[in-house]
Amino acid sequence: MFTDASSGATTPVGTLYRSLGLNPVEKGLIFLYNDNQLSSVEVLLNFYGTAHAIAVLGQKLHPEFKERLEAEYRPKYIFDPSRDEVQGYELKEFSETVKIFAKKDYKSEVVIHPEIKILLSTSGTTGIPKLVKLSDENLYQNAISILQYMPILETDVVPLNVPINFVYGFSIFTTNCMRAGRIVCTDKDIMQKAFWDEMEEYGYSTLGGVPYLYENLNRIGFFRKDSTSLRYMTHTGGVINAELRKTIFSYCHEFDKQFFAQYGQTEAGGRMAYLTTDGLLEEETSIGTPVYGGSFQIDPETDELLFLHSSISGGYANKLEDLSTYEQPKLLHTGDTGRRGQNGLYYITGRIKRIMKLFGIRLNLDEVEFILKNELEGNTVVCLNGNDKKIIVLYDNKDIDPQIITETIKNKLRINPQYVRTEHIESFPLSQNGKINYPLLQNLQHEKI
Amino acid sequence: MHTTDEFYEIIASAIAVKKELVNENLTYQEIPEWDSMSHLLIVEALEQFYQVKFDFNDILEMGTVGKIREKMKKYDVLVEN
Repeated sequence: MFTDASSGATTPVGTLYRSLGLNPVEKGLIFLYNDNQLSSVEVLLNFYGTAHAIAVLGQKLHPEFKERLEAEYRPKYIFDPSRDEVQGYELKEFSETVKIFAKKDYKSEVVIHPEIKILLSTSGTTGIPKLVKLSDENLYQNAISILQYMPILETDVVPLNVPINFVYGFSIFTTNCMRAGRIVCTDKDIMQKAFWDEMEEYGYSTLGGVPYLYENLNRIGFFRKDSTSLRYMTHTGGVINAELRKTIFSYCHEFDKQFFAQYGQTEAGGRMAYLTTDGLLEEETSIGTPVYGGSFQIDPETDELLFLHSSISGGYANKLEDLSTYEQPKLLHTGDTGRRGQNGLYYITGRIKRIMKLFGIRLNLDEVEFILKNELEGNTVVCLNGNDKKIIVLYDNKDIDPQIITETIKNKLRINPQYVRTEHIESFPLSQNGKINYPLLQNLQHEKI
Repeated sequence: MHTTDEFYEIIASAIAVKKELVNENLTYQEIPEWDSMSHLLIVEALEQFYQVKFDFNDILEMGTVGKIREKMKKYDVLVEN
C-alpha cells in the first residue's frame, strides 16, 4: 500500500499494472528513469511484483545514453517524467504523477532469462552504460546479509538520500523495506535547507553517503551538535580522510551514534564487507570483514581480492541478446588488490583495472580515454587518476585545445572542469613492448601530488 | 556596487556553463551542472571574489541566483539590479 504523505491518498500495490492492462506473468523489459520520489518508487514496486525485468537507470542519465540504450534494448515500457514524448511509444496515464510510455506494436524479440529482475548500470551517470544482471535472489541474499549487522529498527524513519539507481541506494531501499518503519522518498540533499527541515519533521534515524557527503556534513558543522533522532550512519564509495574519520568517531562517541563503513559493488548485488564504528580509529583504512554469508579470497598470483556470495550477479548486458542469459560465477573478481591483516580485517592495496572514484562514482579511465579519442579525431590522450580527486588528462599533440578536453568530459560525463587537469607532455614514455607506460606516468603524477 | 555581469560571470565559470544560461531564476538542481557537488564551487568562488565568508545556513538557502544575490546583502556585498 502506498500513502502519499502530502495528501494521505493511498493506492494498493498492483493497481498500476492492472490499470495498464499488463499481463503479470509476461516478462518484458521496463526502463525506469527514476528519481527517488514516490512515483518512481511506486512504479518500481509495481513492476517488481510482476515478472518484468526493470532497468533502474536514474533520471539524470545523459539524453545521448538514454537514446543509445533505448535503440539497443527497445524496452516495452519506459518511465521518464522528464520527457513528454518518446518516438515509437504512446503515453499511458495511470495517475497525475505516473505516466508510462508503452511501445507501439511491441513484439518480444528476446526471451529474457527468468532470473533477471533488476538491471543496474555499473557506472552511474558516467561512462558507456553497461548493465549488471541481478536476480531477485541476489538482491534478497544481499539484503539478508546487511540485516545481520545493520541496526535497523521497526520504528526507523529512513530518507532515500542516495539515488536508488546506485546499488548502494538500492540496498538502503531493500533492507529498510524489509525491516524499517517508514521510508521517506525524497530527492532533497544536504546542501538544501529543505532536507534539514524534513529531517526535523520526520526524525530521520539514519543517513548514508559517499565520502563527499561526510566532507560536506563536516563543513556545515553537523558533527558539532547532536541530531537526536539519528542513530546510525552508513558510508560506501571510497576512503574518508584520516582527520575526518577522527571527527566522525568523536561525534559517534559523544552522542552515542554508530557508523558503518562499507565496501560494495554492483556486481556483488550490494555490500561485500563492512566495518563498525571502532574501525574509524584504525591507522590504515580497512574494508573490514565480509558480510554474512560471504567470504574473500586473495588470488595468489595477482593479489586480486575475490568475493564469494550468493548475491553475485549473473553477468553484464551490453546488448539485447545478453538478456537471454544469466550465469552466476562462483567468484567475483573485484578489480581491487587486497590483503588480509593479522587482525582478520581486509585491506585494499590497489586497483587492477584502471578505475578511479570521483565522488564515489566509478570511472573507468580507459573508457574516458576512448570518449576523448573519439572527440579529438583519434589523437592519443592518457587519463590518470589524481588521487580520486581529479582526472588528469595528458596529451602530446600541442595543437589540441585543452578546453576541448574539459568540455568533452563535462558534456559526456557531467564532470565539472575543476575536477579535470589537462597537461601537455612532449611524448608518452613507452614500455618495452611499445605500449604507453602507464605505471611510469602514474608514478610521475604521484610525485606531483 | 558590483555589476550583475560580473556576478553572473563568477557563477557561470564556477559551474562551467555559458553566462547566457545564468539568470535570476536559475535554480539549484535545475541543470545538471549545478548539483550538490558544484554548489560549494559557486560558494567558494563568490567567497573568494567578494572576500567574504558565508554562514552555512545562508549557503543552504542559496537555492536560486536571485536568492544568492539577496543573501549576499547580509555580507555587504551589493550587486546592482
